[in-house]
Amino acid sequence: MFLQLQQVSFGYDPPSRRSRGAGPHGFSLRDVSLSIERGSLTGLLGPNGCGKTTLLKLMAGVLRPRTGTVLFDGRAIADIPRRELARHVAVVPQETHPAFDYSVLEMVLMGRHPHLGAFRLEGPDDLAIASDALTATGTAHLAGRSYMSLSGGEKQRVIIASALAQQPDVLLLDEPTASLDLAYQLEVAALLARLRGERGVTIVLATHDLNLAASLCHTLVLVREGRVLAQGATTEVLNSGMIRQLYDVEADVRFHHRSGHLTVVPIGRAQ
Amino acid sequence: MTGPSSAVVRVDAAPQPIRLRLTFTLLGYGALALLACLVAPLVGSTPISVSRAFDRSVPFADNIDAQIFFLARMPRVLAGAVVGAALASAGVVLQALLRNPLATPFTLGISAGAALGAMLAISAGAAVALGPISSVPLASLAGAFLATALVYALATRPGRPMSTAVLLLAGVTLNSFFSALILFVQYMADFAEAYRTVRWLMGDLDVGGFGPIAGILPLVLVAFALFATLPSSLNLLSVGADIAATRGVDVARTERRAFLSAALATSAAVALAGPIGFIGIVVPHLVRLMTGADHRVVLPASALFGAAFLVGCDLVARTVLAPVEMPVGIVTAMIGGPFFLWLLVRKA
Amino acid sequence: MAARAQGLILAVALAAGAAAGAQPAARIVSLVPALTEMLFAIGAGPQVAAVSNYDDFPPEVKTLPHVGALLDPDVERILALRPDLVITYKSQDALEAQLAGAGIKTFSYRHGNLDALFRTMHDLGAATGHPAGAAGKAEEIRQQLEAVRARVAGRGRPRVLLVFGREPQTLRQLYVSGGAGFLHEMLDIAGGTNVFGDVRRESVQPSQETLLARAPDVILEVRATRPVLGTEVGRERAVWSALPSVPAVRTGRIHFLNGDHLVVPGPRIGAVTEAFARAIHPEAFQ
Repeated sequence: MFLQLQQVSFGYDPPSRRSRGAGPHGFSLRDVSLSIERGSLTGLLGPNGCGKTTLLKLMAGVLRPRTGTVLFDGRAIADIPRRELARHVAVVPQETHPAFDYSVLEMVLMGRHPHLGAFRLEGPDDLAIASDALTATGTAHLAGRSYMSLSGGEKQRVIIASALAQQPDVLLLDEPTASLDLAYQLEVAALLARLRGERGVTIVLATHDLNLAASLCHTLVLVREGRVLAQGATTEVLNSGMIRQLYDVEADVRFHHRSGHLTVVPIGRAQ
Repeated sequence: MTGPSSAVVRVDAAPQPIRLRLTFTLLGYGALALLACLVAPLVGSTPISVSRAFDRSVPFADNIDAQIFFLARMPRVLAGAVVGAALASAGVVLQALLRNPLATPFTLGISAGAALGAMLAISAGAAVALGPISSVPLASLAGAFLATALVYALATRPGRPMSTAVLLLAGVTLNSFFSALILFVQYMADFAEAYRTVRWLMGDLDVGGFGPIAGILPLVLVAFALFATLPSSLNLLSVGADIAATRGVDVARTERRAFLSAALATSAAVALAGPIGFIGIVVPHLVRLMTGADHRVVLPASALFGAAFLVGCDLVARTVLAPVEMPVGIVTAMIGGPFFLWLLVRKA
Repeated sequence: MAARAQGLILAVALAAGAAAGAQPAARIVSLVPALTEMLFAIGAGPQVAAVSNYDDFPPEVKTLPHVGALLDPDVERILALRPDLVITYKSQDALEAQLAGAGIKTFSYRHGNLDALFRTMHDLGAATGHPAGAAGKAEEIRQQLEAVRARVAGRGRPRVLLVFGREPQTLRQLYVSGGAGFLHEMLDIAGGTNVFGDVRRESVQPSQETLLARAPDVILEVRATRPVLGTEVGRERAVWSALPSVPAVRTGRIHFLNGDHLVVPGPRIGAVTEAFARAIHPEAFQ
């Protein structure tokens, strides 16, 4: 197993109760075990505040579990130095708002930080990698633009390019299509599929878009109230019963022949 | 794992590579700072002959030109350069740390602590000295360190990283609290002392010789050594703490180091010359407008430009109303403010 | 019966006086220390009912009520003392308006040069019923000043830097006399040439550069508060050695004069001028 969570529990400090999803006893995740295979494309589904973002942060090593272990390639993430981990695992947050007006190229080159450290300046190789990442995300024409002046979809793709510049084995994305219109959503989905196919990048994405998950992900992890409800192949896990358990919503799940994947049509709140 | 692609794609309007930009910027701003430091001692309220100042055949004790050049102007120019560089860099670091372009070296209450120390020393008339540092700078240094320790203690909890949100709130609150204490001290002081405390708040680079500069220089050097480790981490930190963490930045350590080094530089600068305003916000923004936002360029360029800017402002301060002087803090605000607005409008 | 009648007559007389507006003030509150001194010097001391927080001369004022100062006059206490004249600073507009509302006259003081000082003394004599006392005191001070002038006449006029403020142990935050105000004029009478005489201001903050350029022969440091005494004299004198080309530094003609009377534009200026002259021209007093 490539990325593994073993009986991981996590809670923000009980006194502060900052986490909306904190269940009883101040835990936002309880006893979560899951496995992500190398080269897979996994979707994390669940209602707001169920712990999806926390799971991603645990996988990225940004948060440390209270109990349990997160393993990357068989090693405990806690034992892997930050920069080394960042050469393998990259994260695309839901939204990124820099405090200063960096250029697109500068934003992407920041992805080279784990390879360069605090003092080495980027050289021709790094520029080539950044260009490659820009091209892969279709943002090469924006390189000289200011990041702040871009549209939401362009920004998201630039941040993905920046994560690609890390040359990661694992890409973790938090609702990558949330702020995008339909065309961009399809474009990002195609990009992710291509990254997995062409570069063998393992991808985990948290999303509310069930149809995106159905079209893109081979495996799904369903999370509710800090616990894993189910995990497995998309075709097995994604059914109306699970959706009812996950969201308290009645939905039709059907195979759509023209698109070639399952589609979900919500009907109404479950009684 | 993906390898570097062999097909390098041409990037439209690609900025110059960092190495070139860094070299050009440092050469440009370095030349500007050097020029300011070379020209400033030649100009002043009294016309002097430079050749006479460097004439070794006249005994130094009799050579007024040499004394004006070496005893009066050089320490001032040097103080201006050190203070300008320290305040401008501290501004850059704090703006990135707090992810707030409006932060200044005086946002976190450090200068208010320094001011309170200075006010107390002035109104107590204390005449202690530690080597070349006299009582007022000494007390303001103590006040600045006290404020730093307070803000840091408030923003840090055992077993948790420093919170920049709490840091900002604690700093701003402490600032107001110290300001109230300052007003109290001023109110209780007699007229002459109250006026002197007001004058101290306007900033003054006529530091009385090389001694006081040498006294605070170790602090500034330590701060700059720490600054040098920060720029690429500050880039990521200003994009977001989580994204910085996932790009290999030790966020807690970087934030701690950024705060402490900026606090150190600010304390030293304010102890030496009083809280000279505007440098810490105007210089970083001017530099960003000219060089872009990359901290690897902005930080050293701001240090150099800050030095040149303050030396230039002090040149104006000591000549424009000669033989009377204008407080340099008024000049920095009067030159910096409109220039900054002009650049903003032009850019928009 | 007789006492009551006398009281009645007195009250009527007072009322008549107030109506005529010519009656000299009987109860005076002075918020200006220099003018308090003048009041006592011209013989109006017994009429002074209260003084400012900064008053401590003459010694009689120590037992009088202290009712605030320039920035914080205690209006309620002033009103409660029922004065008929309050000596205020020119800038105390609000206070003057309040007092006018209560029907209390004010004597507004504006800081100035020696001429202004004598004029103030004259006006104060008129307002308090001591015109002769005021004239006499003014004449006495004039004679003192003339005596000093005569004593130093014909001698050189060294260039003098008159310092009245400085941060201890360093040459920072210097405040020196410019070419305006009573201190400058007293320095002139004492036989010194003010090195900042061309700057038409009372107070100048010179940089080290201007100090070097102005090259004073004598440095007079007036310490109104925090006197320089004992071993401090040597240490504070050594501070000036940072400016080695200044003649006063080379010849050691740096003098410290202690006492807050030195900067009070009041009746003691004659003695102060003589103290200046003794420092500038010691040989004239041997």
